[in-house]
Amino acid sequence: MSSNFTSTTTLFHPPTTTMAYDPRLVKSGSTTPQTPPPPPPPPDSAPTMSETTDTIQNEAPKDSWKLKFCTVCASNNNRSMEAHLRLSGAAAAFPVISFGTGSLVRLPGPTITQPNVYSFNTTSYNQMYEELHDKDERLYRTNGILNMLDRNRNLKWGPERFQDWIPGLPRVEHVSKGDKGSLGTEAGVVDVIITCEERCWDAVVDDLMNKGNTLNRPVHVFNVDIRDNHEEALVGGNAILDLANRLNESAIAQRDLHGPGGWENGTGAARLSFDESVPEILADWQEKYPNLPALWTLAWL
Amino acid sequence: MAQTAVQLNQLNAARNLVLGDAALYPQIVNGILPIVGANSRVELRRWGAEFMAETFSSPVLSVSLKEQLAPNVLQTIQDTLALPETDIAVLQALVQTAASLYPLVFRHIVNHPGDNKSWETMTMIKEDILRKMDSFPCPVKICCVKFLQRVVQVQTPGLISDPRRPEQNETSLAIVPRTHPVLKISYLEAEASGLLDRLLGVFQEELCDALIVNATLNCLSPLIRTRQSIANKIINTVLEFFPTRHVRPPFTPTVRVNVKSMERTARALLVNIIKKNQNHPYVGKMQIYIERLMQARLEEVEDASRKRAFPIEPTDGLDTAKRARLDALAPPLMKIPPMAPGPPSYEKLFTLTEDAALSSFDVTQLPIDLVVKITLPLLQRVNPSMLTQAIDAVRNRYESITKEQNLQRQQQQIATSPDDDEDDDYEPDYEPMDVAEGAVDERTPAAHEVADLQPDLVSLGPFVLPQPPPLSEEEAADVGRSAVARVFSMITLNETAPATNKGKTQQLGFSRLAGSTFDRDAWAVLLTRLATRAPAGLEPSGKGESAVASRRQTTISDSIRETLYRHVLEDFRGRLNIGIGWLNEEWYNDRVQMKAAAARRDESGEEEEPVVPLHYDRWATRLLDGILPYLDSRDIKVTVRFLSEVPEITIPITQRIASLAKDPERVNLCVQALMYLIMFRPPARELCLDTLEHVYHTYEESRPAAGKVLAKWRPQAIQATDEPSNGSSAQPADTQTAVSQEPST
Repeated sequence: MSSNFTSTTTLFHPPTTTMAYDPRLVKSGSTTPQTPPPPPPPPDSAPTMSETTDTIQNEAPKDSWKLKFCTVCASNNNRSMEAHLRLSGAAAAFPVISFGTGSLVRLPGPTITQPNVYSFNTTSYNQMYEELHDKDERLYRTNGILNMLDRNRNLKWGPERFQDWIPGLPRVEHVSKGDKGSLGTEAGVVDVIITCEERCWDAVVDDLMNKGNTLNRPVHVFNVDIRDNHEEALVGGNAILDLANRLNESAIAQRDLHGPGGWENGTGAARLSFDESVPEILADWQEKYPNLPALWTLAWL
Repeated sequence: MAQTAVQLNQLNAARNLVLGDAALYPQIVNGILPIVGANSRVELRRWGAEFMAETFSSPVLSVSLKEQLAPNVLQTIQDTLALPETDIAVLQALVQTAASLYPLVFRHIVNHPGDNKSWETMTMIKEDILRKMDSFPCPVKICCVKFLQRVVQVQTPGLISDPRRPEQNETSLAIVPRTHPVLKISYLEAEASGLLDRLLGVFQEELCDALIVNATLNCLSPLIRTRQSIANKIINTVLEFFPTRHVRPPFTPTVRVNVKSMERTARALLVNIIKKNQNHPYVGKMQIYIERLMQARLEEVEDASRKRAFPIEPTDGLDTAKRARLDALAPPLMKIPPMAPGPPSYEKLFTLTEDAALSSFDVTQLPIDLVVKITLPLLQRVNPSMLTQAIDAVRNRYESITKEQNLQRQQQQIATSPDDDEDDDYEPDYEPMDVAEGAVDERTPAAHEVADLQPDLVSLGPFVLPQPPPLSEEEAADVGRSAVARVFSMITLNETAPATNKGKTQQLGFSRLAGSTFDRDAWAVLLTRLATRAPAGLEPSGKGESAVASRRQTTISDSIRETLYRHVLEDFRGRLNIGIGWLNEEWYNDRVQMKAAAARRDESGEEEEPVVPLHYDRWATRLLDGILPYLDSRDIKVTVRFLSEVPEITIPITQRIASLAKDPERVNLCVQALMYLIMFRPPARELCLDTLEHVYHTYEESRPAAGKVLAKWRPQAIQATDEPSNGSSAQPADTQTAVSQEPST
């Protein structure tokens, strides 16, 4: 399956070369919209499915709605990708996309003054892997870079820059390419953004203001401060998953409560809407993870 | 239920379709509307609302296609809102959709003024949302904030980037033509202004909701960037906002999360503005604000996490529970006696006890190591609040002494060197900390005297205005005229004001001083003196050396005279006083001038006759000329008063009076006036008799009256004329009655 990601074409190429998705698309396109195509099994991109999506398949008839996440760090390699892995691979299999806010992708080199630098959006994890593998396999194996890139190339094609992201731009091709966590992010919007460094949080909030808030869609932007090393990334990824689960639980509770049953049936804390519960959730979460200082705001896509 | 699931699956498939190819949107949107309309199940409504929100915010669907789709969708939204909808998810999505639709529909109406219906529906949706906004559950309210922002953005004029290509201009009030039949610019702008206030109102609430505050802060950037007219207002509101003031203890972890998030978001917004425009006039203010925010955060929230929260004073002042706690926490107040009277000294300054024995104790007698031994443990154990109070008390005393001394020093400077005014140097008095005790004592005695005179003087040095640039003659004349005009306005002003103590001022009689009572008369006196005496000696000698120069020089005084003349004439009956006063001044001035000229001539021994410009004759006749045409036959009192009180009766004046007799109605006035002068003004008697005789001979109508007067004072004149006419012979009895009829002014 990883062979899918070895292609060196650009990230946003049209999904014409994919199987499984395209035929249905063409077929249903020919029918009239008033009579939508006969329902295929709900998650229809079966060939690119991994084990995790099977769980969705089981839950699908119930309510498969969940929060959509976005993880952000400086280079979209270590911290954001660890979180990406944890969120997409979790029991809930959250829809998740990930970005970096730096100007370039920087990976450690032989010395601190000689980093390996790549550009966002046009370099794949696989490219980086192979280049570093050829350069000095021993060095990059021992410092964990090759392991990290190997993990990343199994998650998605390559690092993406947050500032180049156009919210609302459909990401169906990521689904068809089988990016982990891409299911549910087809519309290119998210409910929650989690950054891994205050600098990144600042950059994200600032960039969202610059983008002009054209979607009129609220988004919760969190920061969970994680130091940029493998161990901390593991700890941080775990904590982010915990936060995501708590948020999702509250959001689903709101949807269930205020669904057919109606708002009036809720009692006590459950009556608090999802948005209102966010500061409390974060405060509770922070008490459990005092070493990962958190920050939050409500911004707009 | 199962059917719904099937429908949802179909709908999801359709959605995937349009996400793959935006060109299919029109078909899909129109197709799903009946399925997800107002009366369908909540799952379907949710799906539909979320799909519409997604559709109209999609960057891949073109604006023109969105505009086409808008009308149908509008109707569905309105129907769903009107249910009324209660599901949060549906409401959220609908408000988001409305926010996306608003600029689209607005632009559509700008270009298609005929499509009233779409605008009406949009307006109804808008009003519905705005009306329910405050009662909506929080998640929907958040979306309403964004809707508000969108409406404000649309209904405020933006930039026209290219007037030739209107389709490229951003949607704003600026693209609405002045004559648009549906969109009334002034109304829309006023509405936007109100909505902006509502949007920003969240920053003024006493207890703020972090969600709403953050949502607002995060959507203000586009407004500030693209809407020049409201940018500063928004920035100012944000600069007034300090999150820590809008929360109440206890500072739970949740409150801390909220405060921190509001601070960081406010900071992010300002940083965003500063980055966009480094030269923004408010950059300094914004940076100060950011620093203050960080400080406030450190002090209050961080501290609060460690310490017990301090009670915030209840704003309504009625919360007794909290009030009581505040009292309990207050440290015991120290009794600070006022400083001992008399000249200040360091001893008195630092004495905070009223115990005489204690204050007279001389510490210097103790050996220094003993003092150290006592002081150190004492300082360790001293109550910090008591210490603060004591320090404050001494500081207050010290400041008041310093102030007094500065004042006193300033007074001394003024007293000793009154001529130092030219010294422009700015030298504030500075009282150094280590001022010697002796110096303090030295200055004290004088302080009490001066403090009474100028208690409010602060300790700044004397300030001397710099010399103004020299005026040209024209400018000086202009300024002079305007000053005169002002004084005249004072006169008229005082006229309208009620004259309460008129009688009192008249009673002053001879002890009165000109211009000492600040009323209308005083101003009049001032003016007449200004006109007559001020330019004395400056006037040309009359030989006409330089006509231009002389004309220019006489302008100011003559213009005052001219104005005075007109002023008196406007209401000569009421203002006769001013006129008489003025003529007296003129006459006096003429005398003084002549005397001075004669003296000069005697001194220098010149042969040449000095020529003094005389004004009295000219202005007296002129004023009389002005008055005469308006005199009525019953105005005898005014005439007599004028004639009796002007300082000198001249031939021209009597000629003017004689001319009154031309008018048969005013013959008596003329004769009576002359008779008065003959009787009560001996120096003018002969002159007046000549005039009367002339009148008697010239005007037939005057003979009965004039004859009686002449019969008494100059019988020979009548006899000379009586012979030919042989008419009315004046009888003594008649003369008597004529005299008795005279006015007694």
